[in-house]
Amino acid sequence: MELSGEEKKLQALFSELKAADEQTTPHFGATWNRAQIAPRRVRIFNPAFVAAALLLVFGVVAFAVWSRHSRTATSPQPVIATAPQNPGSTAGAEAPPAPTSETPLPQPKTAVVLSRNKTTGQRNVMLSAANRKLQKDAKSIASWTSPTSALLESPSDEIFSSLPELNQSATQLKSFLPSRSN
Amino acid sequence: MKTDQIDIVELQDELEKLHSASFGWALSCCRRDHAEAEEVLQTVYLKILEGKARYRGESSLKTWLFAVIRKTAIGEYRKRLVRSLVFLGSSERHDTGVSPADAPTTLLEKSELQKQFRVALAKLPARQREALHLVFYEDLSLSEAANVMGISVGSARQHYERGKKHLREWLSHTETENGIVWRRKETPSAV
Repeated sequence: MELSGEEKKLQALFSELKAADEQTTPHFGATWNRAQIAPRRVRIFNPAFVAAALLLVFGVVAFAVWSRHSRTATSPQPVIATAPQNPGSTAGAEAPPAPTSETPLPQPKTAVVLSRNKTTGQRNVMLSAANRKLQKDAKSIASWTSPTSALLESPSDEIFSSLPELNQSATQLKSFLPSRSN
Repeated sequence: MKTDQIDIVELQDELEKLHSASFGWALSCCRRDHAEAEEVLQTVYLKILEGKARYRGESSLKTWLFAVIRKTAIGEYRKRLVRSLVFLGSSERHDTGVSPADAPTTLLEKSELQKQFRVALAKLPARQREALHLVFYEDLSLSEAANVMGISVGSARQHYERGKKHLREWLSHTETENGIVWRRKETPSAV
């Protein structure tokens, strides 16, 4: 490599630097021996390991948060199947059979379907509280009567709202048939 | 020379031959910090002894060793940086500000120009300083320097040329300031 004038100057400066460094260079044997007797360092704080661990922890936390959110978003609402409404409000021949005086007041039938098991007691408590509220609401709706329902009442209501029973005699059953004029 | 064939005694001999140059290179990689350079070199030897750094004969032993030194110096520098950030104010090292290289006896030997040269060299970007050091100080070719620095020959040439340009500017500035007259040769660069 042929050097120009300035390069030669630089070369000279580097050579001077090298000569100065050589004077302060530690002895090879000393450095080599120190390296040989140096304790083998056990790397506890391995950056790669720490990064991997952090990433894993982050992943687990993210998954936990995501699963919690998705559960609340898709958690099934309590399905409420209510019994037939108060018979008084629906008067008519095609109305469903009215409960007799012996039959108890139809209770709202609640069927709470939960697709997943609850993981925490807190969620269970909250759900049961919600169910209790729903039952209460259903009861109040079932016992509601229209303020004008009294106007619809007539003496023949009993006939319309009652059905012949199987253990009645034939003559009694005939009373339900329309009378023939021929 | 293949590593597999080199036993530790043979390797030790080779390393001893290269020790002075290795220390010079470690000094350059450690921004002329004598203690740090010594520690880096010791770590490099430890790596070799433990088999963490293994010579595979893909390049010359010197090139390989220099690459290991450079990598180790960068790693040690990062560690120091992290430590200094963690333990702000309570530095582990008791830096007196005067390295053994700057001891009074050696300071006397240094010319004013040499001191200024060191300052100018320290101001250069790391890659440019490395390229210049490898070529001028260690007498390596540009391809060998590129190998040590882990870059392409083209990039190494660019760093070398830029570094040289900076030092030329510094030289001309110093000449005019100090009234030093160098005999210029108008030979173009052949590198």
